[in-house]
Amino acid sequence: MKRLATLPARAVRHALFWTFERATWQYDLMVIAILAFIWLTPPAWIGDPTASGPGLIGLVLERLR
Amino acid sequence: MIAPHPAMTFTGAVGAACMFPLRAIIRACVALRIHPNVLTLTGVFINFIAAWFFAQGEFVTAGFVMLVANIFDFIDGKVAEATKLASRFGGFWDSVMDRFSDLSLFIGVIYLYAQLGRTDYVMIAAFAMMFSVMTSYTRARAESMIDKCKVGFMERPERIVLVMIGAFTNRMGAVLWVILVLSIVTVFDRIYFTWRALRTQEAGAR
Repeated sequence: MKRLATLPARAVRHALFWTFERATWQYDLMVIAILAFIWLTPPAWIGDPTASGPGLIGLVLERLR
Repeated sequence: MIAPHPAMTFTGAVGAACMFPLRAIIRACVALRIHPNVLTLTGVFINFIAAWFFAQGEFVTAGFVMLVANIFDFIDGKVAEATKLASRFGGFWDSVMDRFSDLSLFIGVIYLYAQLGRTDYVMIAAFAMMFSVMTSYTRARAESMIDKCKVGFMERPERIVLVMIGAFTNRMGAVLWVILVLSIVTVFDRIYFTWRALRTQEAGAR
C-alpha cells in the first residue's frame, strides 16, 4: 500500500534522474508521453508560430463547445 | 539480469524495422569501400541543406533531407566496424561533425523564427540549442574523469527523431519545448551524477 502511495513521487524521480536504456517499457512510456504532448497540445496554447490545425485536444474542445 | 529483447517494446520494434533497409545500405557502402569519415562529412553537408529548408519554413522537405542525412550519420560507425577502419580519430571526427549538424539545424529554425518576428521562439530555440550542446559536453567532460556518464533521457538520437517528427507533422513549437525542458533536466542530471561519482571516488581515495 505504501509502495502504491509513493508511486507518483518515484515515477517523477525516475523521470528526472533517468537511467533507463532504450527499448525498455519505461522508455516506451516516456516516448508516448512526449508524443502525446506534441500531437495533442493545441498549437495556440504554446503560441507555435508555424503549426497549423488545432491539434487533437483543440478538435475535441471545439466539438464540445 | 537478462537484457530485454529490443523487439519486445514499441520503440525496440520501430528500431528493428528501421534496421532492415539500413543493413542493405551498410552492405553497399562496405562493398564500395567508402571511407566512414567521408560518410560522416556527407551527412553534415546534407544536414546543412536541411537547415536551409528549415530557414525557408519548408518543414516537410527539411524532414526528408534530415532523414537522408541521418542515414549517413547512423551508418558511418557500422561501416567503420565492417571495413575495420574504426579509429579513435574517427570517433572524434564523428562527435565534432555531429555538433556541426545539430547547431546548423537549430540555426535554420532560429533564422525562420527571426524572419517571422517571433523573438519568443528565437529564444526558445536558442536555449534548446545551448542545452543540447551542453548535454553532449557534460557527458564528454564527465567521462574524462569518471568511467561513464550515460544518464538523462534527451540524447542526440532522441533530439534528431523529435526534430524530424516536428518537421513532418508541423509541430516544431511543441518539439522545441520538449527538447528544451528535457535537455535542461539531462544536463543537471549529468552534473549531479558526476558530482556524486567524484565524491565517492575521492572518499575512496582518502
